[in-house]
Amino acid sequence: MEKIIPFIRYRFIAYAITITLIVIFSLQTYRNGGFNWGIDFVGGIKLTVKFEQGVDTAQIRKVLTQNKISAVIQQVGKEEDNEYLISTKLASRAENVEESTKELKAVIQSNFKNVEILSIETVGPAIGDFLKKSAGKLIALSIIIMTLYLAFRFELKYSIGAMVALVHDVILSVLFCGFAGIEINIPIVAAILTIYGYSVNDTIIIFDRVRENLQIKTKQTFIDVIDKSITQTISRTLLTALTTLFAVFALYMISGEGLNEFASVLLFGIVIGTYSSMYLASPFVLYWEKLTLKKA
Amino acid sequence: MTRGLLYKAIFIICIVCFAVMLILPTIGENTLQIVLSQTSTEQDLQTIKQRFPESKYKIVINNKEVLVEGYNLNVAVMNEIKRYPGVVDAKLLPHWAEKALLAKKINLGLDLQGGSYLVLQANYHKIEEKTGKPLTNAEKNEITEQALELLRNRVDKFGVAEPSIRPKGNDAIEIQLPGVKDPESVKKAIGTTGRVEYRLVDDTYTQKANQWLKEHFAGKPLPEDQLELNKLADTIKTAIALPDSLELLYYYERNPQTAKLFPAYPIVLEKKVALAGNDISKAWVAPDEYQQLAVHFNTTPEGAAKFAEVTSEKNHGKKLAIVIDDKVRSAPSIRVQINTGQAIIQGDFTYEEVTALARIIKEGALPVDLKIIEERTVGPTLGIDSIQSGVKAFIVGIAGIMLFMLIYYKFAGLIADIGLLLNGIFMLALLSWLGFTLTLPGIAGFILTMGMAVDANVIIYERIKEELRTGKTPRAAVAQGFERAFWTIFDSNITTLLSAFVLSQFGTGPIKGFAVTLSIGIISSMFVALYITKFIFETITTRGSLKKLSI
Repeated sequence: MEKIIPFIRYRFIAYAITITLIVIFSLQTYRNGGFNWGIDFVGGIKLTVKFEQGVDTAQIRKVLTQNKISAVIQQVGKEEDNEYLISTKLASRAENVEESTKELKAVIQSNFKNVEILSIETVGPAIGDFLKKSAGKLIALSIIIMTLYLAFRFELKYSIGAMVALVHDVILSVLFCGFAGIEINIPIVAAILTIYGYSVNDTIIIFDRVRENLQIKTKQTFIDVIDKSITQTISRTLLTALTTLFAVFALYMISGEGLNEFASVLLFGIVIGTYSSMYLASPFVLYWEKLTLKKA
Repeated sequence: MTRGLLYKAIFIICIVCFAVMLILPTIGENTLQIVLSQTSTEQDLQTIKQRFPESKYKIVINNKEVLVEGYNLNVAVMNEIKRYPGVVDAKLLPHWAEKALLAKKINLGLDLQGGSYLVLQANYHKIEEKTGKPLTNAEKNEITEQALELLRNRVDKFGVAEPSIRPKGNDAIEIQLPGVKDPESVKKAIGTTGRVEYRLVDDTYTQKANQWLKEHFAGKPLPEDQLELNKLADTIKTAIALPDSLELLYYYERNPQTAKLFPAYPIVLEKKVALAGNDISKAWVAPDEYQQLAVHFNTTPEGAAKFAEVTSEKNHGKKLAIVIDDKVRSAPSIRVQINTGQAIIQGDFTYEEVTALARIIKEGALPVDLKIIEERTVGPTLGIDSIQSGVKAFIVGIAGIMLFMLIYYKFAGLIADIGLLLNGIFMLALLSWLGFTLTLPGIAGFILTMGMAVDANVIIYERIKEELRTGKTPRAAVAQGFERAFWTIFDSNITTLLSAFVLSQFGTGPIKGFAVTLSIGIISSMFVALYITKFIFETITTRGSLKKLSI
């Protein structure tokens, strides 16, 4: 028989890691000036513009400042293409985004020669509010659905454990965005929801084994069974995380602006999801069990 | 091979062949047919030739018709070509597999093929200021419907094929325009309010025009293209010697299935406007005295005098056309003189027809002006870049996974790799068959599911290894491994499917695309792992002689 790794005994190390990460991420988010909400949620304009060779960020910034437009300017894509992302956020809710877009385009087109506007995104305040509300609703909805499904397929104590791991993954992923200065937009919310599904997936594999091992009558304690189950499934947990990471890493390296940040959040989330299902989900099943046993 | 396995083999081969044929129109070459006008010049032809370099495309020129064959020909390209000088029409010819199998090409989202996505909302604030009271939700809904009716009327002005116009929620309208680089012209068409007029119909000339059409056009439907329609109108005008005081327009009907408007027949009107749109103050739908649905309307005090004049004795029996943006949408007959400013349009209407008509009259009375509250426009070059980098990421990702599986699981890894390739084919086939739209996040979903697809194989293989360690024969270990892994795989995939389902509720297109590819990928990977790879293993292990499994 293989050696059993005492995961449960190491749980305090895991708590320490989690708390340290949360603290570091929060501090850095604070230093970055809070979360970077994308125009999907706060409203604003985002243009991708191809300029003539020689035009650089400083020149664009100068022109925009002269016209009293405060914008974030960022070079995107290949160096030789000289393409820039220019984004502005709504100054006030009363601002007419349609007019502002026209104005921004006019400023760019009149001050630079041979510009090509590759993409335009304009989101008004009403849409921003709507998207914010629905993103919150969806995250809550998926937590409830997952918990119910697990309670149905397993027992309540398992679904509590899985939920703790899930909430942990979501908090850390969101903080990671703040830490890395990643703009939180709709694709990022999609990435976070995918991490959900993925993390539960790992947790289920472990719990499934716990349930199976519990049916074998031995003198083992519940803790022993959990340790044994995590050990038995560890190769599969790590292997599947690895193959998925291959795919996401390829996406991260190659996909360019559109999906780069999306892929980086997924990358982080898959690692953290794998970790939480091994170290965090099971201890909370134990705590729940202890808590309910005392009451009974 | 046992008989059961043989049947399974046949079934699997059929499914794979079917899937491959389904994706042919997407990955294979397509043909774009370009029709040039009779007056087109050599230079127009050269412009087209430059757009499709011979190194990448095959071009066949047949008098005024150009056939371009090659990859990357989609609706956006078609719309782009339509706006070239000298081009009358451009059409994508269906791929042979589309005709034979009802296969469809994978729709590309606007972020991949380039195009414009707009969300419009009526300026409620302005209307509230005018009426002095806040609008109820029902009123907002009705205003949105009125604007929708107006936009459907103007589709041809957008200059694109396959625009999609539909309500978004209760109080907004969503428009998707593939292939539009700069939607300024569209915005202009959206930004202006509808011009509604009431003009008398000249029956004699209307009859002449239709008679001419019958003789020279022999029952063919009228062309949908605005340019051709205008040309036809000119031809008819000269043929029937239309006097200067009259004008030839078309009467439009609505296709009950698609809600699209189409020109039904030519109609001749007086140029003089009998009643302007804003001479009407109010319009609504209610039953008439025979309990039939009818449009009721009131005129303004100034309008009442004009209306009394139009409906006077001399015009009885004539028709009064309701014209919006130069399209005739209804032409009720005048029966009695109306002095009170209260009138009713009766007819054998369906509910849709009668509400549409009321909305047109309302548009004249109280025009709705629309504002853009969300815009996402992607140029075609950016879209092609995204596809290319997506495909590259896909190839690199899948190659990494396959190599890993091969090294780690050896022969069993090879089976998993075959499964992975099949899974990719099935995913593409399902996407095109079900007519889903592929977006940039959709490609991400595709790549992600490739990483997750081998998940099932890993679970099964690890289980088989465990069983082998307990000393079971390969055959028993394989059987046990698949059986025990089934529920684990099922449970873990269901949760991912659930989160994909939640995601798909997120209204915006690209994310929906991600959720869709994720779901399709999960379903097809389950089928491949639990059915096809299982079949391969069963075939191998039933050959009794197998002593050791390479896993």
